[in-house]
Amino acid sequence: MAVSAKSIDSARIATHPSKKGLHWSTILLHATLIFFCAVIVLPLFWVVLMSVKSIPDAYSGSLWPKQFDFTHYGYALQKLPYIWRNFGNSIVVTFSTVLITSACAVLAAYAIVHLRLPGKLLLVSLLVGTLYFPTRLVSIIGIFRIQASLGLINTMPGLILPYVTLNLALSILVMKGIFEQISPEILDAARIDGASSWRILWMVMLPLIANGLVVLLIINFVTAWGEFLLAYTLTNDQAMRTLPVALATAMGGFGEWAWPALAAVYVMAITPGITAFAIAQRWYMKGLQEGALKF
Amino acid sequence: MASTAISKPIAHRRSRLYGLRDGVNWLYVLPALFFFCMYMLYPIIEVIVISFTDYKFLSSEPMRFTGLTNFINALQDPLVHKGLLRALYFTSIFLPGVIFIPLFVAILVDRVTNPALASLYRVILLIPAVIPGPMIFVLWRWMYDFEVGPINTILVNYLNLFTYRNAPQWLGNSPLTIPAIAFVEWWWGLGYHTMFFLAGLAAIPKELFEAAKVDGANEWQMFWNVTLPRLRPIFVVLVVLRFGTAMAVIDEYIIMGGFNRALPTYTWTVYMWHLAFNIGNWFQGYAAAIGWIGAAAMLVVVGLLFYVFRDRD
Repeated sequence: MAVSAKSIDSARIATHPSKKGLHWSTILLHATLIFFCAVIVLPLFWVVLMSVKSIPDAYSGSLWPKQFDFTHYGYALQKLPYIWRNFGNSIVVTFSTVLITSACAVLAAYAIVHLRLPGKLLLVSLLVGTLYFPTRLVSIIGIFRIQASLGLINTMPGLILPYVTLNLALSILVMKGIFEQISPEILDAARIDGASSWRILWMVMLPLIANGLVVLLIINFVTAWGEFLLAYTLTNDQAMRTLPVALATAMGGFGEWAWPALAAVYVMAITPGITAFAIAQRWYMKGLQEGALKF
Repeated sequence: MASTAISKPIAHRRSRLYGLRDGVNWLYVLPALFFFCMYMLYPIIEVIVISFTDYKFLSSEPMRFTGLTNFINALQDPLVHKGLLRALYFTSIFLPGVIFIPLFVAILVDRVTNPALASLYRVILLIPAVIPGPMIFVLWRWMYDFEVGPINTILVNYLNLFTYRNAPQWLGNSPLTIPAIAFVEWWWGLGYHTMFFLAGLAAIPKELFEAAKVDGANEWQMFWNVTLPRLRPIFVVLVVLRFGTAMAVIDEYIIMGGFNRALPTYTWTVYMWHLAFNIGNWFQGYAAAIGWIGAAAMLVVVGLLFYVFRDRD
């Protein structure tokens, strides 16, 4: 705590430099932040490095390889059983889940914030309540029983349907925060022009919530792309599993699941998320500031 | 509906009485409601029902109503006690780090004056937030690996602090397991929680600091008396939310620990899953009771936390 107090002090001074040039406290501020950033980045860098190491180097106990080997990616895609299937499953499940959840959340949040909705308060408190309750854990036995009786074990819809509820409450609350930033006068003006509430949502609201929508899509993408417990419970056929479950249950070591091959699959699994984030990062940050975090 | 709105939109908005026509707006909520009822409410109710039975999924015998037997057995089950205590131990390590480290980092990032650098720091810190949880745990299972894991590689081969004979065992049956997993959670949540605190810091009016400075407050006093009280609501929400997630953690335990009862990662959540989907004839009735006992214990603490942090003004 003493350390933190000291750097807070020094950092504050740094924002009002009395003379030109770098003050030592500015250096300390940035050094601390760079340290945290390094802690974040280094493990990821290690996996990427592992995926291009030659097999002997991967087991030699040195961090930097003597010889690079870029064939693991091709090998993983060609030789590893079911990896393509797992990849495809993940894409289908994630895409459907994100689409359905986001649509449900936008519609519901729009009605909660901008339309007259009897029982609105009850609805919102229920939504907030589910955030404080381990719903996923308590409901999993029931969800399994429903899907088993519907014959949806080891199927894509069997995963998509329960996936939608995973983040639905949070998504509605995030969208509620975004919709609350839009002044009701805009809505009233559109109404006077004779627009129905449905038209207002499409024509007036959607362009205004674009940044928030990016946040919503990313949050839901990350959850669905990486969901583990439900996929682990509702599928037992290796060919129907999603990528995270396939990866988590693959024991690293020798043979076809050698460390570099596993690392290559890993890099391919996390790249979509990081790429999407890198592209959408500007809108994402804007969306966060616009109230996605205020629920 | 549009026609009523045209006549007097603003007066309409303010009136507290709802007409029958407003019920039509529930159509917008209907899709969300369907999923809630079908895959949250109904399964939860079903779990309550079967927790009072001897239901086993793989057994062909019809389920029998057994009253409170499951709950009485679960409350006397040493594995349930141990499981709850293990989860509590994890939570007590996890919670301070996931709140105070992001708070500290947020205060630092908030003081970076160069806008390009400030957003660069934010983006880098947020990278783990876009990596799905299981991927994080798989990654750190490698990081902690006894032989090829880079942490032990650095400790043994580069720093020469240990040999492979006495190098620390991070996961498995080791006292380091729970702190090691808590660290993974800190790493994962750092950026995301920092964003929460940054949003809170940005909402503090700058005049407050100016006024405090005029009154001769030093930096530490300003932090303690201006910044911290303003961050309080965020702080409370995060503490309670994260308490809930930490007590109900299961993915990390399954991925990093598996189903070995002797391991410190075998908490009540893993025990519940193990009973419901793996052991014997899949004792789902008993597992449901354990799930409810764990959830109830958590709810009590959540209520207590809200009471402790209530607004006293």
